[in-house]
Amino acid sequence: MIKRNQQVLLARINKMKQATDVEEYQKYNGFSGLLKAIDMDKETILDELDLAQLRGRGGAAFPLGKKWRHLYGAKGETKYIVCNADEGEPGTFKDKALLEHDPLSVIEGMVIAGYLFSAKAGYIYMRGEYRRIQKVFQEALDNAEKAGFLGENILGIKGFNYKITIISGAGAYVCGENSALLNSIEGKTGRPRVKPPHLADVGLYLQPTLVNNVESFAGIPVILREGGQAFLDLGTKDGGGTKLICLSGHIKNRGLYEVNLGTPLQEILYSEEYGGGSSTGHPLKFIHFGGQSGPIGAVQNLDACIYSYKGLWDKDLSVGSGAIVVMDDQVSVVDYLVQVAAFFAHESCGKCTPCRLGTTRILELLKKFNTQTAVTGDLERLEKMLMHVTNLSACGLGQSVANPMKSGLAYFPEEFEAGIRETAVSVKGGLW
Amino acid sequence: MSSLSLSEKEAIILENDSDPQRILNMLIAIQYASEEGYIDEETAKLVADRLHLSQARVYEILSFYAILKTEPQARYVLKICNSTPCLFTGGDRLAELLEMILEVPEGQPTPDGLFMYHSIPCIGACDQGPVIKIKDTVFGKLTEAKVYQLIDDLQSGRYQEL
Repeated sequence: MIKRNQQVLLARINKMKQATDVEEYQKYNGFSGLLKAIDMDKETILDELDLAQLRGRGGAAFPLGKKWRHLYGAKGETKYIVCNADEGEPGTFKDKALLEHDPLSVIEGMVIAGYLFSAKAGYIYMRGEYRRIQKVFQEALDNAEKAGFLGENILGIKGFNYKITIISGAGAYVCGENSALLNSIEGKTGRPRVKPPHLADVGLYLQPTLVNNVESFAGIPVILREGGQAFLDLGTKDGGGTKLICLSGHIKNRGLYEVNLGTPLQEILYSEEYGGGSSTGHPLKFIHFGGQSGPIGAVQNLDACIYSYKGLWDKDLSVGSGAIVVMDDQVSVVDYLVQVAAFFAHESCGKCTPCRLGTTRILELLKKFNTQTAVTGDLERLEKMLMHVTNLSACGLGQSVANPMKSGLAYFPEEFEAGIRETAVSVKGGLW
Repeated sequence: MSSLSLSEKEAIILENDSDPQRILNMLIAIQYASEEGYIDEETAKLVADRLHLSQARVYEILSFYAILKTEPQARYVLKICNSTPCLFTGGDRLAELLEMILEVPEGQPTPDGLFMYHSIPCIGACDQGPVIKIKDTVFGKLTEAKVYQLIDDLQSGRYQEL
């Protein structure tokens, strides 16, 4: 039985001595989700997933049950299972923990998908910066195969043949975008594809393909083991389960935590169990949610905010990848956004013009505000540019560039205006 | 790339089943195993040949992905993170500090070929910033004193494995 306020995804991480050991993994409920799944009718598996309301943990928050059902209905001889482990979102380091300290849970989730979709091949695309973890994960794959959970006739089921291959990324944020990721697996440069067609219909090597995040796959065995309702009960109506969150920035206890969706944000920021408040002695000013492409919220407006999908949507914020980057009142929002814009200008793949040039123009404009050299009309130009890049870019990278900028502008307009009046005082971090 | 023999490079390609899907795995493995830390023309040609790809395709990949390099690197490449969680918790001082200690600008090797530093966007150690990463090893929660110590240690050969 799992209850609220107990660790679910991190439970094993704190207990297991050897993360890649199958026997030890089984001692802590490992592979019991898969064992249940193979005794279930495939439609029932899909029903449980729908009931669980697991939303995609990579950041898009799309209901996983719907995605799986779409692939289930897709026509194709071969279906591929892909795990997106290209965690490159600044402020996010949750997948790293699962990949390194509980790799078999991710593997189990991927094997369940392999079973459900009768897939022969699964891929895990892991960022190049996690090269050391790739070795750990390979060891876990080898051990799982030796124990009969991967390979030929898995668990003695005739024809259940399924293998997982690790593909390394090599330093490109855009490869976290699912279609770019598939191109990269195919040995091409990781530039996104034009969509539609949906990847569930035309994905890897043009075959129907499932792409899910590491944390999403790790949640699958929990759903099947405990039931969809139990998983839903861990979270809120609009999103079941727990969420791995990454606290960083000017917060005392930086690190990875697992919280129930529905936990008050104040508790996450200030309680000693989690953030513990400001690390600098200065009051907290704003929070960047979900990674660089997520929105920014002003701390003073978030007193009653609940950390859940709806709780954040109500405040025009989002859970995203689970990153919570906290800044104190010594940081100017414009300063902060210049760095965010520089990130996007650097990471734009260059395939589509609105993103390639738009991210550069946004960076230039923000720098003008930052150096108090902006002129009348620049604010309107910035807003227009944000709108263009959002609406005209081909993939999620360009489409989400404006999220932090627009929310920063909405909450702290005076800091932008100060960049025009040439009277602003720019304060930068640097605390050591 | 003199430090890796032809057979060592071939072994890495074979470990990856000469599978074009795993071209990034092999290019990174070859690069990290070599002392010069880059993929030279001869190696790119070898990989293209073994995987039945054009050299242009291999170079397209080499120029697209940030980890892959086509120029010789210093013995120790110090990667500093310039994303906001690191930058605003002290990371903004790292580049300055390294320039002061090593007396070279970002991206340029020291005259003895031992050090080089450059910024990268996020290494997944946001809770430990400011950080320096050398190959697969992260040195986190740095202070000025720790950075001086790290450079000294590297100079004196304490981290031969890197």
